[in-house]
Amino acid sequence: MARSGADSIPAELRQKCSQCSLQELCLPRGLHVHDLERLDSLVLCEGPHHAGDVLVTAGDRFRALYAVRSGSYKSHTIDYEGREQIWGFHLPGELMGLDAIHPEHHLCTLTALDTATVCALPFEKLSEIAGELPKLRSQIFRMLGKSLSEQTTRLREESAEARLAGFLVDLSARLRERGFSERDLHLSMPRRDIANYLHLTAETISRLLARFQSDSLIAVDHREIHLLDLSKLMRRAHREVVET
Amino acid sequence: MSTLIDPELIRRYDLPGPRYTSYPTARHFQPGITEAIYREAVMASNEDPIPVDLSLYIHIPFCHRPCFYCGCTRIITRHAPRVTRYLEQLHREIALQGAGIDGDRIVRQLHLGGGTPTYLSDAELESLMLALRRAFTLDPGPEREFGIEVDPRTIDRSRLAHLLALGFNRVSFGIQDLDPLVQRAINRVQDPEHALALLQDAKDLGFASVNADLIYGLPGQTRESFQTLIEAILGAHPGRIALYGYAHLPEQFPFQRQIPSAWLPEPAIRLELFLTALERFTTSGYRLIGMDHFARDGDPLLDAARAGSLQRNFQGYSTYAGLDSIALGLSAISRVGSLYAQNTKDEDDYLASIRAERLPIRMGYRLTADDVIRADVIERIMCHEALDFDAIGKRHRIRFQEYFAPALVRLKTLEDDGLVERSSHGLLLRPAGRILRRVVAAPFDAYLPREGRHGHYSRII
Repeated sequence: MARSGADSIPAELRQKCSQCSLQELCLPRGLHVHDLERLDSLVLCEGPHHAGDVLVTAGDRFRALYAVRSGSYKSHTIDYEGREQIWGFHLPGELMGLDAIHPEHHLCTLTALDTATVCALPFEKLSEIAGELPKLRSQIFRMLGKSLSEQTTRLREESAEARLAGFLVDLSARLRERGFSERDLHLSMPRRDIANYLHLTAETISRLLARFQSDSLIAVDHREIHLLDLSKLMRRAHREVVET
Repeated sequence: MSTLIDPELIRRYDLPGPRYTSYPTARHFQPGITEAIYREAVMASNEDPIPVDLSLYIHIPFCHRPCFYCGCTRIITRHAPRVTRYLEQLHREIALQGAGIDGDRIVRQLHLGGGTPTYLSDAELESLMLALRRAFTLDPGPEREFGIEVDPRTIDRSRLAHLLALGFNRVSFGIQDLDPLVQRAINRVQDPEHALALLQDAKDLGFASVNADLIYGLPGQTRESFQTLIEAILGAHPGRIALYGYAHLPEQFPFQRQIPSAWLPEPAIRLELFLTALERFTTSGYRLIGMDHFARDGDPLLDAARAGSLQRNFQGYSTYAGLDSIALGLSAISRVGSLYAQNTKDEDDYLASIRAERLPIRMGYRLTADDVIRADVIERIMCHEALDFDAIGKRHRIRFQEYFAPALVRLKTLEDDGLVERSSHGLLLRPAGRILRRVVAAPFDAYLPREGRHGHYSRII
């Protein structure tokens, strides 16, 4: 296990959770400073990856969880007929590879959508530390739960319009959590990926976005989507309107 | 309008300069833009949340005989197999390009240029349109802008009706000049009666827009001959008129050596021809559009100018903004996103490349972030009467006055000369500035100071 000891990690690859701006979103949430230092000892930086670069291939042995540090990734599977299924898009501070904990190999391939970096968290070490730090343990559970609930809400029996509106609203909420503008979305994924994720066609995605645009809910400029009326968009998504 | 314009002022600014059908101009295209790079740009454009719709340009290079003034990429031939061979590969190029474009991107604009598109027979044009319909999704609605350049010598009323049936709703006639002496000097002899009757036929048949191309500054043109031409065109009353200045650059275009410089109207006369046309057209119900087009009420170009949606492209001015442009055929230039890609100008290279299933892209240019901003500013100056600093600044996230401080300094002389008026919010083109748009745009061109102004470009007027 060449990667397990902090001493063997070259200094430039070491990432310090204690100095990371994402610590309140990511694993270290709520940890004390001296506990953070224990995480610091195991985190490794990987990347930068470029659009289309593969971080993990489905079937790879499970060694580590990955926290997105910058950019974005998608997790996806390819079935026996070569059809792709996208399970999620991952933003900075989000954890990837949770599906590998049980079978001990990855179920999903993780591919970069733009220029992106991750922090690798070797799982053996992580669970060791988590055994001693209840706050870290509960944060892992929370992130696991988040990932599960995403899968259950993704394909609810909703109209195409509600699903797409929901997608935009969720993305906006995740950006807000990260301290970014909740109204300016940059879609790093191609439209066919959004279509695949929502089980719609690419044409439907564009047609619905054009409809949202002509209804003055959004303004689209290539990959940039500006949300003009978030509460109307929430209603279209059949979500409770949260005033912000 | 011309009463407001001081000829002396125009004379002073009548220097060579780019026409800005693109920015940077095609002179700055470089080898190294390949099929792979182009394909990547097309794929990226397909992947946008709402991919933009399309404009298609098809180049038909063939002409029966050479008009001496022409600077277009063309092939002078009467050899039918040579045309057939080209069309075969053009059909394959259409299929190759179509396969790369998502089917929900609608072709809003189609233009057949040349050469002489109507060199092709009705059957050849029909099969070309069929190939386009198979490869792309063509807009069936009345808002579409499907045009073709017509050489009056190749066509009659029944062929016009056939073009309409094929889906063309705009037609542009290469009138150039109707005077017999001028026609002989430019080697384009046509029957004026026939040409003028066709303009009427096209209107009667129901084309949404009928254009007449005219050229001033041609050999043998006089005040009197040009006056006659203007009145004849006004009598035919087309929806729009394009009035181009002849660019005499015999070092670049060998056929122009057939035109002795001595036959060309001298600069003062040339300017007079232009100002006379400007005066007559603008007092006869036409409005100046951009730098060299005129349109009257009812023509979509005037509507676009009023709505502020006028756009500049390699074919001049058009009504749709923000389309990706896919260009097919010899020397054709595509623009997808921020990439220009130009096909080979060599016929054999073109044929061989497509036979090998490869798009024949040989040159091009990838716009930098700075190019994109400048291209936007220059297109606005070429199309509109005003430039709104704040709107440009907001769109490109720059502080206009800081970003373009050196350009605004260079613009000072133009302000003093009354070409433009400047406020803290923008620039207003005064009547002289509208004629001399190219001069107003030039300070925003980052390439011009580097290359110097002389030699390669045509005169402004």
